Amino acid sequence: MLKNDLVLKNPLRLLGHDSDDVLADGGFGVVMARAGVGKTAIGVQLAINSQLRHQNVLHIGLNDPVQKVCLWYDEVLRNLICQYEVPQEERLWDVILPHRFIMTFKVESFSVPILEERLTDLIEQGIFVPKMVLIDGFSFDNEIRTSLEELKSLSKELGFHVWFTMNIHRHNTPGPDGFAPEFSVVEDLFDVAIQLIPDGKDVLVKALKGIDGTSDSYQLRLNPSTLLLTD
Amino acid sequence: MTIDIQSVRNIGISAHIDSGKTTLTERILYYTKRIHAIHDVKGKDGIGATMDSMELEKERGITIASAATSCQWDNHEINIIDTPGHVDFTIEVERALRVLDGAILVLCAVGGVQSQSITVDQQMKRYKVPCIAYINKCDRVGANPDRVIRQLGERLGHNAVALQIPIGLEADHNGVVDLVAMKAIYFDGENGEILRTEDIPENFMELASKKREELIDAASMFSDELTEAALEESVTEDILIRALRKATLTRELTPVFLGSAYKNKGTQPLLDGVTRLLPCPLDVKTEALDLNKDETAVELIADLKAPTVSLAFKLEDGQYGQLTYIRVYQGAVSKGDTIVNIRTGKKVKVGRVVRMHANQMEEIESIPAGYIGALFGIDCASGDTFCSPNTNYTMTSMYVPEPVISLAIKPVDHKSEANMSKALNRFSKEDPTFKTFVSEETGDTVISGMGELHLEVYIERMRREYNAQVTTGMPRVAYRETITRRADFNYIHKKQTGGAGQYGRVAGFIEPVVDEDFVFDNKVTGGSIPTQYIPAVEKGFQKCMSRGPLLEFPITGVKVTINDGASHAVDSSEMAFQAAARGAFLEAYHKAGPVIHEPIMKVVVESPTEFQGPVMGTLNQRRGMIVGTQDEGPMCVIESQVPLSEMFGYSTVLRSATQGKAQFTMEFFTYRQAPKSIADELVKKAAEEKKNVA
Repeated sequence: MLKNDLVLKNPLRLLGHDSDDVLADGGFGVVMARAGVGKTAIGVQLAINSQLRHQNVLHIGLNDPVQKVCLWYDEVLRNLICQYEVPQEERLWDVILPHRFIMTFKVESFSVPILEERLTDLIEQGIFVPKMVLIDGFSFDNEIRTSLEELKSLSKELGFHVWFTMNIHRHNTPGPDGFAPEFSVVEDLFDVAIQLIPDGKDVLVKALKGIDGTSDSYQLRLNPSTLLLTD
Repeated sequence: MTIDIQSVRNIGISAHIDSGKTTLTERILYYTKRIHAIHDVKGKDGIGATMDSMELEKERGITIASAATSCQWDNHEINIIDTPGHVDFTIEVERALRVLDGAILVLCAVGGVQSQSITVDQQMKRYKVPCIAYINKCDRVGANPDRVIRQLGERLGHNAVALQIPIGLEADHNGVVDLVAMKAIYFDGENGEILRTEDIPENFMELASKKREELIDAASMFSDELTEAALEESVTEDILIRALRKATLTRELTPVFLGSAYKNKGTQPLLDGVTRLLPCPLDVKTEALDLNKDETAVELIADLKAPTVSLAFKLEDGQYGQLTYIRVYQGAVSKGDTIVNIRTGKKVKVGRVVRMHANQMEEIESIPAGYIGALFGIDCASGDTFCSPNTNYTMTSMYVPEPVISLAIKPVDHKSEANMSKALNRFSKEDPTFKTFVSEETGDTVISGMGELHLEVYIERMRREYNAQVTTGMPRVAYRETITRRADFNYIHKKQTGGAGQYGRVAGFIEPVVDEDFVFDNKVTGGSIPTQYIPAVEKGFQKCMSRGPLLEFPITGVKVTINDGASHAVDSSEMAFQAAARGAFLEAYHKAGPVIHEPIMKVVVESPTEFQGPVMGTLNQRRGMIVGTQDEGPMCVIESQVPLSEMFGYSTVLRSATQGKAQFTMEFFTYRQAPKSIADELVKKAAEEKKNVA
């Protein structure tokens, strides 16, 4: 299997997007799940898929240090290489690394104006221009609508789309739309929403928004040991 | 020497360069009657401050090596380590903090919390050293202690609380108001040695009461006794001090003193603060590792009768031989004792035992647990643990930062060569961050350390102390060559120039290999190359690996497979086949897509957040790939991978880009192919050098 074949293993192929982005500039997507189910792994797979297509990904970690984020990429890529028997691992890394930039913040110190300041630094100096931003650990618990709106307009202006991971609390019962209450209030800002649901030993991937919510959307499963999508 | 461990204070004085640590230490020694005159740091009077014992330090007005000294104040024995303030000498600060129980963080009332204060504070946090702060230079124009206290909170995250307020600032700085005793203190006499305590002046009373309220509020968070007393409005000096001490020991509160050491104001109350608020050795939990029990942690007890455990934390080459500074944690080190260097296993008999006072010394019989002293004639390295025989403990290893910069040096003559060798041997023993080696590739002696100034100072010391004149250059980066594709060879080495001829033919191919420098595979069948010549063929190929044709740097990652060849009954020899292998390699090498690999360093820059952009710019300009940035409140950490060849002079660039507020570490990460333009440039340069030599 070559790099191009790996590109086709887009985790979002269930949405009918095999090798291109499901989100346009300014678009928001979210991967939601309870803690420990595999949100970050899916986020990193989305990021790697973009990087393999030579698109720059800014990974924003709100809980983990840079080293830990790097470990996520090491782990997911190693599993991908193993699962799809990709030769020349070194070269794959050479393709990916220049397209990745990690920023980590303490949750409480992260804000859109700070992100804008950092991004402006990167873009003005020609260091890094992201096409996708992955925000891992974003807190949906507080009043966040204003922040998300600011981020949306920033992402439109600078030409990138944003993926979030969202932690679903066990005690929050989903509403009739299937969304957790803290997400319902900002749901209109999102184009795609995916939920990971533990099912015995497996993890089911359910598309809540961005695709017809039929039972067919349950067709994808995560391998619980590698947290990669199974074929 | 009286032994009352409760009255011992082992403290360090740490701060940014030029914030006045050495002046403050000088005043402490004066008021504690260890010296009888006060000298300037810069040595204007030709004597220099007592703690700056090295000539070079006196000249530059900076403290290079920590000098340990002890003094007495209010029936307490205070052992002081004066530590360097420059970022390039952080190992000295790190070592000092390792053996200290408490510290005074000196800050400039004008400059406030500067970059080195941030570094030193991080080091203190790492070793959990309780500290009190001293805001110096309140007599200077622009002095603003309130701002500095705020910065302590904002930039360093300290819960800083003033124990004093100044009576006047800048030229009007006359004394301080003690908020614990609610008294005004003035410093009279020629050198401020006479303390005059008076009632607080009317115009300061309101401010003093407000600040005392704040002080009590802050301290009551850590003491129910104080909270109750505050509610009943019966706060006594003792209750307040007890609460402050408790919070200081756990680093939950940082009491702030102030004054002007240079103008002889505020030093004595600071000494009171040291004795009342900083820990004695019993307050600090110290652990060693028991080597007999698989390095299980063992708590040490400051008990004179327990087996001795001590740590050598500093070596100095003085006029009477090697002086080893030690901190005794358990038992005692006495004249005539036999102790064991745990690292080497060697038994050592303790000769002279001294207490140091900068570069003067006082002979003593013994260094008891909890104390710092020095031994003569002990051969050891910095960081060695010494124990009683039959005790096999080691103190946890000290954190030693990796050197970040290297420089090639060359002695100018034979005499200097011998002296340089002596000096390098001594320096690398004294300072674990200073390393020296001979480059196998270039033959140069290379020294490496924590920064350009660090190395510069050692070069100066070599010249002054060892009379070793050296010239310095930029060390050559250790490039590598390798191939990127398979290439065949079929080479005949044939020579008939009279006498015995030479004949050998080797055929096969070379190809890239990962994770190996050189692999040789013999697939010759049918004896086309006689078996006895195969080792010669391998040797011939292997020799080619040591110097690549492009840059004359080693070649790595090559697999050679031979599958055919020919020999001659008379003219073939080992030499002929070695030569044939060399010819075959060169024939194939240029067809195999040779490339140059360069060392890539992992560079981590720690900088105040406001300089994140400029720092990333400096890395980017150096062909660096930024892996990520980590925001940690007021500071940020930028991780990157940068080619080593681009990193020379970076410390200067970083300093100027960040007003000296950032620091970086650098370590080898990997080898990666150099971009074509850079490789072409290198090949061109190497060819020119070759031509010039020819």
